[in-house]
Amino acid sequence: MSDAPPRLEACGLSVARGGCDVVRGVDLALRPGEAVALVGPNAAGKSTLVRALAGLLPASAGEIRFEGVALRALPRGRLARGLALVAPDEGGADAFTVEERVALGRYPYCGPFRALGADDRRAISRALERTGVAHLAARRVGTLSAGERQLAALARGLAQEPRVLLLDEPAAHLDVGHQLALFAALDEVRRSGVAVLAVVHDLPRAAAWAERMLLVARGGVAAQGAPETVLTSDACQQAFGVRLRAHRVAGLAQPLYSVEP
Amino acid sequence: MTETGRRRATFTALALALPVAMLVACAVGSVPLPLAPVLRFLAGAESGLTPAGETILGTVRVPRVLLAALVGGALAMVGAALQAVFRNPMADAGLLGVGGGAALGAVIAVRFGWASEVFLALPAAAFAGALAAVLLVYALAGLIGRSSLAGLLLTGLAVSALAGAGTSVLLVATEEFRVKTVLFWLAGGLEGRSWTHVGLCAVLVAVGGALLLLLARPLDVLSLGDEEAASLGLPVRAARLGVLGTAALLAGAATAMAGSVPFVGLVAPHALRPLVGPAARRLLPASFLGGALLVVVADLAARSFSDRVDLPLGALTALVGAPYFLVALRHAPERG
Repeated sequence: MSDAPPRLEACGLSVARGGCDVVRGVDLALRPGEAVALVGPNAAGKSTLVRALAGLLPASAGEIRFEGVALRALPRGRLARGLALVAPDEGGADAFTVEERVALGRYPYCGPFRALGADDRRAISRALERTGVAHLAARRVGTLSAGERQLAALARGLAQEPRVLLLDEPAAHLDVGHQLALFAALDEVRRSGVAVLAVVHDLPRAAAWAERMLLVARGGVAAQGAPETVLTSDACQQAFGVRLRAHRVAGLAQPLYSVEP
Repeated sequence: MTETGRRRATFTALALALPVAMLVACAVGSVPLPLAPVLRFLAGAESGLTPAGETILGTVRVPRVLLAALVGGALAMVGAALQAVFRNPMADAGLLGVGGGAALGAVIAVRFGWASEVFLALPAAAFAGALAAVLLVYALAGLIGRSSLAGLLLTGLAVSALAGAGTSVLLVATEEFRVKTVLFWLAGGLEGRSWTHVGLCAVLVAVGGALLLLLARPLDVLSLGDEEAASLGLPVRAARLGVLGTAALLAGAATAMAGSVPFVGLVAPHALRPLVGPAARRLLPASFLGGALLVVVADLAARSFSDRVDLPLGALTALVGAPYFLVALRHAPERG
């Protein structure tokens, strides 16, 4: 799959916030079925990069292309039918039921006036099932735990039936059980051919999930490649100010990491 | 009870309670009229009332009750819409400077004598003031680079304070015999309103209400937050401007007719949201019915409290609304 044309591509991308470039000269390509983790220290520009990739922030230099079309030239509605962004819940959905919240993910298809059709209903129930929140469909979002709320936000993104899924810290505030559920759901999404890129804070978790890792530091890509290579690189030591070591353990598929000053 | 059942029950209860309250409000007053003849009169049949009774009913009570319903319904819909846009269940038309602008407009009309010379000059000036204040808030927020929600709120605060300053300066410079006109209006009330008021208000509320209903789904998407709304393909700024403009039209119309009637926009949607859900296509009509009911009852209470003088309607809604607000605040989740 890795030689398929990229779904989402950035070339020399810079993004300015408050007058100075927070993201500088980033090149990246996301291909169908790929799972890419974006890691980096606080204030490295990860969230800005993800928002620019989702078309929410304009590029100050360089270009983003979605399926070969420049993002600038793509109508918002059309982009929303191919690309979904799941960011931490802004808290406005508390009074909606989980099902209503997920159904809003069909806005790119229905617009202001068209009623939900059979296709929409199918996409909504599939999204609810994939994220494991189908049993919460009738509950109000405000009554959910942080983990369930985040899964509901992911379900909204999946209801958009995206071909590219971008996530900004989807596992923040989640306990270990909900983290596993969330990444398992992401794995299933990826296997169905969706390109998934997620900002992940928990480095071992990111390494266990992703096939490819991008280390962002001071607005640029400092290293990329296989997670183990990236995490144990000098660039990673420089970025975080600590050294990570990988330890192979018999019987475990993934290495364990230790952190040293 | 299921969600659907609760929704149906709520709409049924509101749709029954509102006409009953309106009917009672037509019958009760300084000259009490029996219910059955009032009902016959409203149905256009031979009522059996005295000619004086028919005049009171036809030229005073019915327009007053209709206006109360329109004003309450409009304010409640505005509250529901703004609460979605600002993602805050405590948002109200006052945030946008509607009240301050309308008061300034009214004082200008009275100070320069237009209100006593030209029919409807006072409500027209109040309406213009309300719209001007909202436009100013929106333009200023954009101009100083703060078109975010917090920026709009703070700009609204500043514009309200400015309008308040203008109001007090003009009030001091107004001849004493005219001051009472302004004070009466500021306190909120529906005394002496005519069918012309009803007609004007009905047209504005119908237009504004229809526009808000057309914006129902964008309103739901907006309530998720600007970022999520934009990522769903909604043109956020245009949608927000549409909602705010329509809200200004509705709140301006209501305030121009009745003066300041606080807390209706807050209480009605807040009380109904748990019953019918937050989706605008249901919450807006439910809020209209709830707000209408609230103001019809409040106006009835305001004029039956004492034989000699009507209590100000605005004071009455505040008397009920402020404690409700505090209790709601106590139960609202704290967000940083």
